[in-house]
Amino acid sequence: MVASSRPGPALIEGARPTNVFTRHELLGDTVLDCDVVIVGSGSGGAPVAAELAEAGFDVVVLEEGSYYATRDFTADTSAMVRQLYRDGGASMALGTPPVMFQEGRAVGGSTVINGGMSWRTPDEILARWQKDHGLDVSPQALEPYFERVEKRIHVAPMDHDAIGNDNWLLKKGADAKGWNIIGNLRNQAHCVGSNRCAFGCPTGAKQSTLVSYIPRALHYGARVYADVRVDRITMNGKRAVGVMGHVALNGGAGKGPSINVRAKLVVAACGAIHTPALLSRSGLQSRSGQLGRNLSLHPNVKVVALFDEDVTGWRGAHQAFQVREFAHENIGTFAAVNLPPSIIAMSLPHKGAQLGALMDRYNHMVVAGLLCEDTDTGHVKTLRGRPQAFYQLAERDAATMQRGLHLLSELLFAAGAKQIILPFAHATQICNADEARKLFANPIPRSSWEVVTVHMMGTAKMGRDRTSSVTDNFGFMHDVDRLLISDASLFPTPIRVNPMETIMALATRAAGHVIDNAKKFLQ
Amino acid sequence: MTTWAAMTRAQVPTDEVSYQHSPTGRAVLLSLVPVICPVEAAGCAEAIVDHVALTLGAAPPLLRKGFGAGLATYDLGALPRYRRRARFLTGERAERYYDSWAHGPTPIHTQFAHALNQLMSLACYEQPEMAARIGYAPGPWIEEVTKKRLSVFRDDVRKQDAQILAPDPLRPGVYVGRRKKAGG
Ligand SMILES: Cc1cc2nc3c(=O)[nH]c(=O)nc-3n(C[C@H](O)[C@H](O)[C@H](O)COP(=O)(O)OP(=O)(O)OC[C@H]3O[C@@H](n4cnc5c(N)ncnc54)[C@H](O)[C@@H]3O)c2cc1C
Ligand code: SF4
Repeated sequence: MVASSRPGPALIEGARPTNVFTRHELLGDTVLDCDVVIVGSGSGGAPVAAELAEAGFDVVVLEEGSYYATRDFTADTSAMVRQLYRDGGASMALGTPPVMFQEGRAVGGSTVINGGMSWRTPDEILARWQKDHGLDVSPQALEPYFERVEKRIHVAPMDHDAIGNDNWLLKKGADAKGWNIIGNLRNQAHCVGSNRCAFGCPTGAKQSTLVSYIPRALHYGARVYADVRVDRITMNGKRAVGVMGHVALNGGAGKGPSINVRAKLVVAACGAIHTPALLSRSGLQSRSGQLGRNLSLHPNVKVVALFDEDVTGWRGAHQAFQVREFAHENIGTFAAVNLPPSIIAMSLPHKGAQLGALMDRYNHMVVAGLLCEDTDTGHVKTLRGRPQAFYQLAERDAATMQRGLHLLSELLFAAGAKQIILPFAHATQICNADEARKLFANPIPRSSWEVVTVHMMGTAKMGRDRTSSVTDNFGFMHDVDRLLISDASLFPTPIRVNPMETIMALATRAAGHVIDNAKKFLQ
Repeated sequence: MTTWAAMTRAQVPTDEVSYQHSPTGRAVLLSLVPVICPVEAAGCAEAIVDHVALTLGAAPPLLRKGFGAGLATYDLGALPRYRRRARFLTGERAERYYDSWAHGPTPIHTQFAHALNQLMSLACYEQPEMAARIGYAPGPWIEEVTKKRLSVFRDDVRKQDAQILAPDPLRPGVYVGRRKKAGG
């Protein structure tokens, strides 16, 4: 099947596992009782569901997105984006420049559409979290949780055969420069390089929570309700006692019957944009004033490099290597990230014949990006119940990214690139290292940068001190009883590497704490 | 009034928002196909415009509304200079008018032109004809590698599937027993 905008290769709702309920079954108002209700089924929610279900808790997971099976993930890129991404992938943090960001909205959350890079939190970051935020997160303390997560989602190096030419070119460039480049660890069991990670893995190789933690949770008795948007947490005084929501129809635009879940423990795992909104809709505030603040983004920019040789980057795994040479300068990684032609065309400022001429060379392109560890933060405001992110790219982070782009260009020219198209509003292209040097000699105005991100973090940060943090060491909201936050919002700072494994390890640790204190939580 | 409980499964709306362009919006977008998309896309103009509607259907409502209003303004904005609406401009005049927005007097003009470019370029290269033209054929590739995974690596794949369900309690020996013991 080739990419198509016409009706046809739409998602097929096939037989679902028992215990997964969707809008098709939720035809009337529903009331449920359980021990633990978890809102969100991504990196933060699903591990808690599986661990607690196996320990014998009665677990209900509510997920706003729909349930899809591996066979539903087709080559129809834009259908996948519409179905699996919140807002069709068009979410935006307002600021200069605006930052486009993406989140998953499906059973499995963002893990369904992520690249599968699986890295532990760097030791220096954990040391900072211990020292500055009083958290009990030494590498030794987290070791058993990382190990457990890595086993469950099968974190492993890539099979050599599955690595595509775009990634080999990245390695060639890094080797030529003598820079530190490492093979990616990814949550995959024999990834075969279909390069569709961002649109749902069609081979089943990527061990997203959809095919790992969620089936495990179901196996041990959890119930998953897809197509259910939670509107608010219900409170009895200072104690969270459940949630209220509704069946989400028409991609979230329509409102179906209500759903009311009564529980002994509530877990908010909606991600760093939606968890603060859910709490705010529920009338919850943090006396620290930090709820919704401290938003980090790991700003990301991409270039398109053209080579004489055939690359055909869509045959091969998504991001097989990462260049880590400049991590100490806050340039987290460089990576090659092949994208389908429609997404590349969309990101290019060219039009008409120029666009056509460039796209004719699609199979000669390497798309490469860099991730910056940001030093300033934005915030999420809840306006009429909906979250809106605001983020101002700091001058120093723009300077870091500019340096990163210069270095990345050097790497790509060393690999043999003949032309590089840069992520600035008006098509800027360079054809050799000299041109790169000239261009990057002066600061490029922030307003012309095209910045994107997929790592939103920090809006309900953990910490010992309740006057400066939203939750405690495990993610329980200060001053509220029985409300656990388990997602990327917990990060006190950005982490420089891909966040999924950190979120999962923290979620597993929190689940352990709940099991250790089961008596208290089951009262 | 139909109650939800009385609805049959088939009547439950599908997951996608169905969005339709206004007649003005559609006409403006059609007139922009030759400006934004390469000439080879001319035969898919209608499909490109349909695809823009699909994308807008999934976009945040505010963005959808803003885009609709933007198209109407774009259409009328051509009147003072060209004495006709944008939808009737062709060739160089259509190009010039679009460029006047792309390098426009205000950030709103620039951003709207940018959004037009993004949506239409995306729609253009989502057309099977355009994807095939540039040698992009992921369907057969996915099929080939899926088969490979399930044959060459069958044993490892099964092992991982089994691992996902195998008993492995986080706190061995602790079972709170709220439900009958399930699964393993
Ligand atoms: C395209 C892409 C590529 C990425 N690549 C990588 C990578 O390679 N490696 C890596 O480590 N990280 C990667 N990430 C980031 C990583 O996937 C996320 O940081 C992580 O999944 C976030 O986990 P979370 O639990 O905070 O949120 P999510 O995984 O996003 O889960 C939140 C879930 O909550 C649901 N939800 C939200 N609000 C409600 C509500 N009110 N009611 C019910 N449900 C609700 C959402 O629909 C969603 O399913 C990527 C992300 C994206 C989008
Ligand atoms: S590249 Fe690997 S993990 Fe990603 S979608 Fe393809 S097979 Fe799945």
